[in-house]
Parts: sequence; C-alpha cells; structure tokens
Amino acid sequence: MEEFIQEWLPIIGQAVVETFQMVGISLFFSILIGIPLGILIVLTRPGEALENKVVYQILNLLINIVRSIPFIILLFFILPFTKLLVGTTIGVKGVIVPLVVYTAPYIARLMETSLLEVDKGIIEAYRAMGIKTRQIIWHVMLREARPGIILGLTIATIGLIGATAMAGLVGAGGLGDLAYRFGHLRYEVDVMYATVFILIILVQGIQSLGNRIAAKLKKE
Amino acid sequence: MIKLENVKKVFPAKNGNVTAVNNVNLHVKKGEIHGVIGYSGAGKSTLIRLINLLEKPDSGKVLINGTDLTTLSPENLRQTRQKVGMIFQHFNLMKTATVYDNVAIPLKLLGYDKQEVEKRVEKYLKIVELSDKHHSYPSQLSGGQKQRVAIARALSQEPDVLLSDEATSALDPETTNSILDLLLKINKELGITILLITHEMSVIQKICDYVYVLEKGEIIEQGSSIDLFTNPDRPTTKKFLDTISQRKLSTSLVEQLKLEGTVTRLTFIGENTGQPLLAQVSQKFGVVPNILTANIMELKNGIIGNLVVHLVGEQDKINASLQFLNDQGVRTEEVEGE
Repeated sequence: MEEFIQEWLPIIGQAVVETFQMVGISLFFSILIGIPLGILIVLTRPGEALENKVVYQILNLLINIVRSIPFIILLFFILPFTKLLVGTTIGVKGVIVPLVVYTAPYIARLMETSLLEVDKGIIEAYRAMGIKTRQIIWHVMLREARPGIILGLTIATIGLIGATAMAGLVGAGGLGDLAYRFGHLRYEVDVMYATVFILIILVQGIQSLGNRIAAKLKKE
Repeated sequence: MIKLENVKKVFPAKNGNVTAVNNVNLHVKKGEIHGVIGYSGAGKSTLIRLINLLEKPDSGKVLINGTDLTTLSPENLRQTRQKVGMIFQHFNLMKTATVYDNVAIPLKLLGYDKQEVEKRVEKYLKIVELSDKHHSYPSQLSGGQKQRVAIARALSQEPDVLLSDEATSALDPETTNSILDLLLKINKELGITILLITHEMSVIQKICDYVYVLEKGEIIEQGSSIDLFTNPDRPTTKKFLDTISQRKLSTSLVEQLKLEGTVTRLTFIGENTGQPLLAQVSQKFGVVPNILTANIMELKNGIIGNLVVHLVGEQDKINASLQFLNDQGVRTEEVEGE
C-alpha cells in the first residue's frame, strides 16, 4: 500500500492538478459566456422585455447544434477554430477551447431554465413600481433565480469533469487520461481504482457543496 | 384621480379576437374606494392592468391626475407608475429577500438614499403591523402577513393611488377582514385613493363607496354601494347580492304561499328597523305579515335591512299596506320564485 502511494502519489497528484486546472479555467470562461447567453435567450423570448424573434431563434438553433455534438467529436471538429483562437490544439491550453464551446451552451440552457422559473408576478410587481428593466433583470430575476443557477452550475461542473477525461486525447492529461493510459492500456488496475475513487469523491463533494449553497440561498 | 375614457383592449387569439375590455368609462374620485366586481373571465384583471399600463389599451384614454398615460414616453410612464401602487392576489414578494428587503429593495432601485430607505421601511412596516418581522422571509409568514408586506412595499413609495388586484382572494375570511380593515385605514389616514377588483361581494360591501359590475368586458351596472345593494337592476348584480344574503326562495315555496296573499321583499335603509312598521301594518290594515327571511347588511356608508314577508289578507288591504310602507321610505318588490 505504502509502496503504491509512494510510486503513484506524484503522478496522481499531477493529474488532479491538471483536472482542476482544466475544469477551473473552462468553467470560468463558460460562465462568462453562458450566463449572459442564458439571460439573452430568456429576454428575447416572445412576450419578454426584449422580445426579438430573429435573435431568439438563432440563439436557440446555435445552442441546439453545439449541444448535439458529443464532446469527443467536438474536440476534433473544431480543431481549426481552437488553433485560430489560442495558437495550439494540444495541452491544457488546447483543450480549454473545446471544453468552453461544449459547456457554455449547456450553462446557457440551465440558466434559461432557472430564469424562467422566476415568478412572473414578481417581475410584474416591479414593472408596476416603475423600476427599470435592466434593474429588474439584475436585482430581481437573477437574485430570485440564484438557487437554480447554483444547482445548474453544479451539474455543468460535473459534466465538465466528465468531458476533461477525454482531454488526454490531445495531451492535456488529467485524471481521466491517467485512468485510461495506466489503468486500461497498461493494466494497472490499482491506478484505475484510485482514479475512479478520487473522481467519485470529487463529484460527491461538488454536488454536496452546490446543494448546500442553493439551499442557503433559497430561504425556504 | 383615476379616469378611464372609452377604453378598449382586444387580445388576438387563434379563433378570432377576444375583446377583454370594451368601451369602459370609469371615474374614481380622490380619496374614495371604488370596486369592480365580476366573474372570472369578465376582464377584471385586464381592466386593472390598463390603469398602470401593464396592458396597453387599443383605444381610449387612461387619465391619472389629469395626465393621459397612453401619451407618455417610457421614461415618464416609469415615473408616473411610482405614484400608482399595486397589490396582487399572490402577493408577488421576492422569496429570497427578508421582509425588510422586500420593502427596501424597490426604494433603493428607485434611487432613494440609505437614510430615507430606512426611515420609510420602518414607517410602513409599522403601519401594517409587521415591525417585529423585519428579518423573516416570506416563506415564514402567513398569507395575511405576506399581503401586509406587499401593502407596505406599495405604500413605501407614497403613492396617490392604490390598485388592488384580488388582494384578498387567496385569504381566509378572517384574514380577508383584517386586510380590508387595513385598506380602510390607509384610505382614511393616508388619503390614498383605492381601486380594487374582486369577485367577492363581501369586499365591496365592507369597503367600497362605489361599485362597477363588469361582465364580458363591459360595465353593465354601476352606482354607489347603497344604491346598488338596495336597488340592483341586472341579473348578474342580483346574483352577486345573493352570495352575501339569503335573497332567494324556491319557486315551489313562493307559489304555494301565493295561493293566499302575496310575497314581498321589503328593503329598509339606515335607522328604519322595520319591526314597528310591520306591527302597524297588521293593526291598521288587518293584514298579517309573516317574516320569511330577514337580514341586515352593514355597508361602508350605511346599513340596509332586508325582509321577505308573506302578507295575508284582502287584496285591497294588502295594496294599501304596501303603499303605506312605500310612504315610510321602504322599498317593496314582489318576489318571484327562482
């Protein structure tokens, strides 16, 4: 056991760091793109404040197209785009772009769902009070949707961890890559078990944290 | 204060347009409480939303303090709305904010400074008797308390007018009464003009000076509460009155009673209690009155007594006694079985 730890700890540790890096950076950019996108798609819906059929339909279509493609295909499909954007298609840097392209529309959809759940009556009450649309979006809709948004981001983060497992294919490393290269290709079963164990802990931890924050924000 | 002139609102629908509000004229004078009553689908909710332009009218004028809201720019409309408070059937509070914040947030967003916000929140939560609930969340409150928070929120902007959209319809009778008392209090003490919509005649009875009966988007009958309660004209109005007083008698019962004498409804307004008059009828005319139903309704501006009596005697004596009652200021109406 001790021997196993001594031999593998640095390697697994390195993989954990890589996974955290990939998830952290791509989550950051995905939120940056996904949340405004989610707000925009809600506001341009028929009957909403910035109703715009064209923008709404285009966004809808775009999100659906990207969400139709499995990550492993997306990873290769957008290689030229990745190269154009960050100058490389390999390593952690090279995998961030497809991870963001994969996750941002997902976050936008989850955002949309939680924003639509905000009671229309509250928005009407604030309109009746003469409050600006911009302030209603920021201080009413986003505020009331916070618990749902947090749960959505939790789901997105866990999905992102799953996607990073395929990052090994472009040499970005991470836990998934470790399990595949050592556990599967070299039949080091123990490494496989250790990786899976760490992933379970990680996902459990994130979900519990998400649930706890959401419950705290919900005030019910 | 509030004036609607020939206001019309049509909603496009798949199978033809639906006229939700048709040529409505309405005038709420400063300091009064007016009520619009109608069944579900009569257009009440649309009507009240036309007043602060949450719904845009297709034609007609919406005047508040003499300003036609339909001509205002979005910015000016926003300013005007701040002086028109509104409360709702489902309260529409933010679940994620405390009672204090539910009142404070709109004030902050409207640009009041911190001290003014604090002052107003304290003041209006006190008026609605929720000073001890500053840190509670809506989920910890009862329905009546939630409506009180919503009322404090509306009042905190110190509006001239308060619109009430079925504010008591989700509450039990006792809580309804306490909210109506609160509305009366703010009308009296703060001088706020109130227009409310409701499907409950008891709400009209308790707090309204003037009533409009809305049916299929049109005002079919209107008048001061006393007039409407004593002298309803349209069947819908009568049906609403039936909900708060026992006015109906079965056809078979009425027909059976009419084999001998007549069945008459007597309506007394104010102090006239009626009992001595009936005693006089039997003494003077030898007509025997038998009281079938009786009730007293307390309206905001007076008391109305309602009696249904079976008068037995010779026909000309009965006629004479009805004339006598009329002369004493009692309204008489022959009852048909329904």
